[in-house]
Amino acid sequence: MVTGDIINLSNVSFYRADRAIFENLNCSIAAGKITAIMGPSGTGKTTLLRLISGQLQPHKGQVLLFDQNLAKLKRKQLNQLRKRMGVLFQSGALFTDLSVFENVAFPLREHLKLSADELHNRVLLNLEAVGLRGVKDFMPSELSGGMARRVALARAVALEPEIILYDEPFAGQDPIAMAVLQRLIKALNAQLKLTSVLVSHDIAEACTIADQVILLGEGRVLAQDCPAALQASNDPAVKQFIHGEADGVIPFHFPAIPLQDELRGQVK
Amino acid sequence: MINLIAKLGAALLDKLACMGQALLMLLQAVLVQPKATSIPRLMQQLYAVGVQSLIIILVSALFIGMVLGLQGYTLLAAYGSEQAVGQMVALTLVRELSPVVAALLFAGRAGSALTAEIGLMKATEQLASLEMFGIDPLHRIVAPRFWAAMISLPLLVAIFSLVGIYGGHLVAVDWLGVYSGSYWGNMQLAVDFNKDVLNGMIKAVVFAFLISWIALYQGYSSTPTSQGISAATTRTVVYSSVAILGFDFILTALMFGGAV
Repeated sequence: MVTGDIINLSNVSFYRADRAIFENLNCSIAAGKITAIMGPSGTGKTTLLRLISGQLQPHKGQVLLFDQNLAKLKRKQLNQLRKRMGVLFQSGALFTDLSVFENVAFPLREHLKLSADELHNRVLLNLEAVGLRGVKDFMPSELSGGMARRVALARAVALEPEIILYDEPFAGQDPIAMAVLQRLIKALNAQLKLTSVLVSHDIAEACTIADQVILLGEGRVLAQDCPAALQASNDPAVKQFIHGEADGVIPFHFPAIPLQDELRGQVK
Repeated sequence: MINLIAKLGAALLDKLACMGQALLMLLQAVLVQPKATSIPRLMQQLYAVGVQSLIIILVSALFIGMVLGLQGYTLLAAYGSEQAVGQMVALTLVRELSPVVAALLFAGRAGSALTAEIGLMKATEQLASLEMFGIDPLHRIVAPRFWAAMISLPLLVAIFSLVGIYGGHLVAVDWLGVYSGSYWGNMQLAVDFNKDVLNGMIKAVVFAFLISWIALYQGYSSTPTSQGISAATTRTVVYSSVAILGFDFILTALMFGGAV
């Protein structure tokens, strides 16, 4: 098992069109912990998750995962590395042509040689853990958004990965499902000795379970600390985000020319 | 003026880059050692791409054969040579109409479906999800669909010719009274296996390659939004149709041009 930092980003810059999403970003994620990546909308939280999973390559800098530079890996090596990682996509990303049972069975069939009984039992146990054993024969189109995400969670942990990345796990969940998910993420992390990285802007939920929080803003890391320290922080940007204040240093508006100038321009 | 030239150059470079990407995608998807586990996926795609296109091919072939029979009879009867209607129907179908019309129909039915399916898989992060399980979506999703199209279209073209010839028979022989023996006999004398049937089949293979390549690339590279997928589906049908007709002329010129 890896100890110390399992994920390391150094001097990472990433651009979309000409807009810099990250400029010289540095951060590291400790093994065995739950790390929440937070920040206002549009600060590149999901992009960061994609850089960590190797779906995107940084324009500058390097991303180290298990001490390996993702940009230097061949496709086969990257695929091998990805078997040690589970991702819960925002939409769930269930395979629409497979039933719930087959979706969870998919990674097991692909990568492990299990007997039919073993496979059946493992899938059922995984579905039981997310409370959805009863929908095993449903197709993904018959599930609600929240249920689909829970099935996707059962699928993401099926191979017992070392790292699991959650993209907005709490978005659109009802309070009960949210509490269950929080408990699940915490329990999975402890039982399977996982490293969990979750992207979220549900401050209360994420802070309850996270061991450390990385706060993103303006293309860089604004703060990286335990939730309690961030709650007590006096940094204006951190304070504004954590306490959800409307006015402060983090602008609500996307940069634009002054409204009056634009309106006058239209009249002309 | 210089701006215009720069814009033209940039557009050309963009197109070239796209073609390069499309070629790389195809090579990466196709140059893979087949495994026993890929056979069920291929069968599934053969059903979706081939079997499900059968109805439209059968119905269109019957009507086109009937129209050919009717037009051929009217034209040839003016010269008293309506017995030649069999060879006219067969040659028109086997050399030109079967590969071209079947390919156009195939592009509209199966090609657009392939693009939309892959585009939606991309939009719903299913392709990314496959990648995250350490499975290359080009091998898993693109390759079986490519081979299914390559196998299906030549078979559909053969079926198109058979049904079309039967349609011609129905009108010329059964309704208009051409002697059945002349219909089949003249056809047998006039149609050469290598020159006509085989060349028609070569066209079918080329068209299958073009349609599946265009459809799969458009789906795989589509912008993952509803507008992006709809634009990619339209491009598949338009590009495929133009490519089919353009290549049909080139192939016809190469195959039959010397005989003129």
